[in-house]
Amino acid sequence: MDNRERDLLLLLSDSNLPTGSFVASSGLESFLAHGFATGTTPASEVITTFVRDSLSTYAPSALPFVADAHSVVSHLSSAGQDQTIARLEDLDDLYECMTLNHVARRASKAQGVALLSLYAKGFSRPPGVALISSSATDEEERLSKLVDNFKLMVRRGDSDGHLPVCWGTLCAALGLSLERTQHLHLYLHARSLLSAAVRLNSIGPYAAQQILHHAVSSLVDQSIQKSAHLRTGVLQESGWDETTDGPANTWPLGEILAARHDLQHSRIFNS
Amino acid sequence: MSGKISVELHGTRAVFAELSSTYPLKLLSPRVHRVALAVAYICSYGGGLVSGDRISLSVDVASGTTLVLLSQGSTKVFKFRPGQHASTGPSRLTTQCLDFAVAGSLFLLPDPVTCFRDASYNQIQTFRLASRDASLVALDWVTSGRKSRGEEWMFSRYYSVNEVIVEGKRVAKDVMLLEDASTLAEKLGPYSCYATLILYGPRVQGVIRSLKEEYGRISVFKATAPSELLWSLSEIGGGGVIVRVAGDTEKVRNWLGAALDSLEDVVATRAFA
Repeated sequence: MDNRERDLLLLLSDSNLPTGSFVASSGLESFLAHGFATGTTPASEVITTFVRDSLSTYAPSALPFVADAHSVVSHLSSAGQDQTIARLEDLDDLYECMTLNHVARRASKAQGVALLSLYAKGFSRPPGVALISSSATDEEERLSKLVDNFKLMVRRGDSDGHLPVCWGTLCAALGLSLERTQHLHLYLHARSLLSAAVRLNSIGPYAAQQILHHAVSSLVDQSIQKSAHLRTGVLQESGWDETTDGPANTWPLGEILAARHDLQHSRIFNS
Repeated sequence: MSGKISVELHGTRAVFAELSSTYPLKLLSPRVHRVALAVAYICSYGGGLVSGDRISLSVDVASGTTLVLLSQGSTKVFKFRPGQHASTGPSRLTTQCLDFAVAGSLFLLPDPVTCFRDASYNQIQTFRLASRDASLVALDWVTSGRKSRGEEWMFSRYYSVNEVIVEGKRVAKDVMLLEDASTLAEKLGPYSCYATLILYGPRVQGVIRSLKEEYGRISVFKATAPSELLWSLSEIGGGGVIVRVAGDTEKVRNWLGAALDSLEDVVATRAFA
């Protein structure tokens, strides 16, 4: 990892980044409301198991899209703007068709477009700061034009702007390696579940920190190991077999509970 | 191993222009006496599929006709055919590919798939709807296994794809993969049966409307234990919905029967009776 990548990881893992993940519980609030956390099992164990199961289905559903969006954007200079945008749109379309849960879809779109704005507003060079010596390179200009165009399409409703596609786009545009991009995505997913668990008063902030420190890294690593190689099929790699290399949901109970989020009599999260 | 079903309209009758299959697939069609309705049962010799079996079935439903496709009992997936020894097939996988071209109405309502210990199963279903006038009810459900033998979520892999394409454009692609028996029971319990129901097209708008109303009336208060049956409903592109149901097999069956009881062609086949 070079210094640039190290600094990017610090920036992107800042929990104050305006990405909208603060209002998402990815089904945890609904899971708790439906009575799945009662009984004698300690809350920290219930939450850790939820994080495991949530990662086990989010990784194979989302990582293929992160990977392909990252790959598409990384090849911008050879493929050109139009073709790159068209591929991102294809990825977005497929993710929309495969995310058959309206609550998850809604949360994914809200966070996706926030990432595109973040790139434009938070990662462009600040004007008139003398300490910043070099000006934007041609490559940077091309990338920022790409992200702007894609954001415009999403705003117009021509593309959905789903989170995994936008995350892959943002990280590739910033020059983060695919490996780091996928790992950070799952890590942030897990961390935002724990942060939701704290705000739902299921576990305390120290317990969340303990789980994050002692359980999450190995859970994320296991999910990466199983799912990092998956691809969507949109980029038509040779030898790709959808039954072994394609995206899939692995937790139908999680799907039902997440989709039932809006049925809760009272709720504090958006998903 | 493959089969072909083709339903055409002759006057007011739906007739099988083609109904053919090869071992281990078997297709049966009882006589029915309803206008434009055809019914077929998908069966397999020996009452189940084993590792290495590869079934592909293509189905054509002409405009103006309705095909109700059922199965004779649940689809049992064995690792090995009972009585056979372990070293028979080159592949451990059982695969079933079904391809549907629908201009009329297709109601695909099989019994659930039951995968036995160590079984590995792929099911890939593609529904190509010729126009927005075509209608679809597609039920895909799986149980936790042979409960009588204490098997609960002990199969090795269950992979199921349901893709809906309308006028050449994909509107939904549901892919579910259940594997890793060490965590399945914990992840999926207390339920032992999961169903996915896809509804699309003019024939099922009444069903969709009443399900949406019922779903909208649900209000979840903080529960102290999971309820015996849970279901969810989400819209898919083009005016269809996808419904997921979890429970035990009987409760899910009863729920499905009640949800579809306004479809007379379904009731006439006693699919959920």
